[in-house]
Amino acid sequence: MGTKRSWQGQPVTKDTEIMTSETASPIVSIFEGFRNELDQHHDRRERIIKASRDITALSKKMIFALQRVRAINQPLPPKIAQENQARLDQIKALFTSIIPDVTGINAWRYQRQIGGGIQEFIEAISFDHYLRTQTLISHAEVQAQLPAEILVTGDDYVMGLFDLTGEMMRFAVTALSSGNASKPDETETESTDATRKLPHLSATQAGLVVDVRAMRAEFEALSVPARSNMMRDLFKKVDVMQSSVEKVERAAYGILVRGSERPSGWTPDLSAPVEMEIH
Amino acid sequence: MIDQRIFEDLQTKIDEETTVRDELHDIVQTLARKGRSTQAILSRAHSTPTDQIKSVLDDATVAIIAQKQDVARLKAVADKHPFYKYNNVWSRELQNLVSSIELCAWLGGLQEYKGPDSTSFMTVEDVGKFLEVPVNLKEQDAFHLTIEEYLLALISMVEELSRLAVNSVTLGDYERPTQICNFIKEVFAGFQLLNLKNDILRKRSDGIKYSVKKVEDVVYDLSLRNLIPKGSAA
Repeated sequence: MGTKRSWQGQPVTKDTEIMTSETASPIVSIFEGFRNELDQHHDRRERIIKASRDITALSKKMIFALQRVRAINQPLPPKIAQENQARLDQIKALFTSIIPDVTGINAWRYQRQIGGGIQEFIEAISFDHYLRTQTLISHAEVQAQLPAEILVTGDDYVMGLFDLTGEMMRFAVTALSSGNASKPDETETESTDATRKLPHLSATQAGLVVDVRAMRAEFEALSVPARSNMMRDLFKKVDVMQSSVEKVERAAYGILVRGSERPSGWTPDLSAPVEMEIH
Repeated sequence: MIDQRIFEDLQTKIDEETTVRDELHDIVQTLARKGRSTQAILSRAHSTPTDQIKSVLDDATVAIIAQKQDVARLKAVADKHPFYKYNNVWSRELQNLVSSIELCAWLGGLQEYKGPDSTSFMTVEDVGKFLEVPVNLKEQDAFHLTIEEYLLALISMVEELSRLAVNSVTLGDYERPTQICNFIKEVFAGFQLLNLKNDILRKRSDGIKYSVKKVEDVVYDLSLRNLIPKGSAA
């Protein structure tokens, strides 16, 4: 094994190497400090992004499971409830794992990174809450589902609710087409008493239409100043929300007017894009 | 049933946030206006011979100290809220101010605020001491100058210096380009030590190499023609 020598022939030892790096320009040693700081920041950021992605994926699975529910305002079917509880536990574990990265001053620092996961999570638990109780989950109830260190911002909550309208739309359209719309009971009396035999939606179906419409009205009443952070995503979300509500309204109309004529097993066309890509 | 109160609460929160944002924005606008006049004063350096630079630096110092008062006002308001929630409101203007401070210091102004061991530029601690704001807080959630902001300010200063190298020659100062060249090469070497991700810092710092090349070309032109004074810090 040879010895590394400087050009003058002196053996180069570790000590002299350290000496030279210490006597290097002050800028270099300052930047070495910055490098450590920035590395820590990037590491935190990446851990959070990873957790956020996993939370998003699990939340989506929860939502898919919930879309298989057929009844509203009653406890979930045990199998779905059990599946989702397991996912919920995993999500909570993921949130717990990033607590050290988002405490203190860093609570707001990584909002953009964790926001996506939190919004998807809110979409899932608000949909779950809606199916069981037919009410909206409150901001405080969302926060109560998570470790106290995880910050649920007002913005995330609103965005989660916007996405909820999409899920409500899917659920409502399926519910409307699943055939329990009340029809005029006796076809033979149709010609005699017109007012009594007008078709109408069942209470559940009508309730869904009323709810999505009420949400649209409330969303449209919110006044958000242009300078707010929320503005960034708001336009898209409002568009999607409005078209979701219209789909429910059209579905209700279709069932009401043509319901008795449609072949059994028919469902309205849901092929139009309804959800925005999550970046 | 959709509970109206949920949306009423949301509106209240949005309104509260807007009030804070507006208050901060007003201060930042003042800071920005004064910042433009500071930069206008400093850009006189490009057309002022080196031996008369002092008057430019004196004017710039007055303007910078005026901006410092706005930073104090900003700090007073910002300290009441989570730092990173509103940081983006003032970050840009704070960077511009720090960049002016650094340029002024490099040209020989603000001498009393430079630390003992730093040579031509002010460290992040020096800048913090001058502005009377904390720097690089890691635990405490309060107003401070971040490392990223400081580094971005250094990049702006380097860009300004590379322009000054060209203009110095026009003004007959053949020594300053060499000093600028040595300094920005050191900064460049510093930035190369950082592990940058694909963010704003990465994009901006990619530009440093062009500044270095610009100044190296000037120094090359001068040395080729033997125009660099003997004994200068080449």
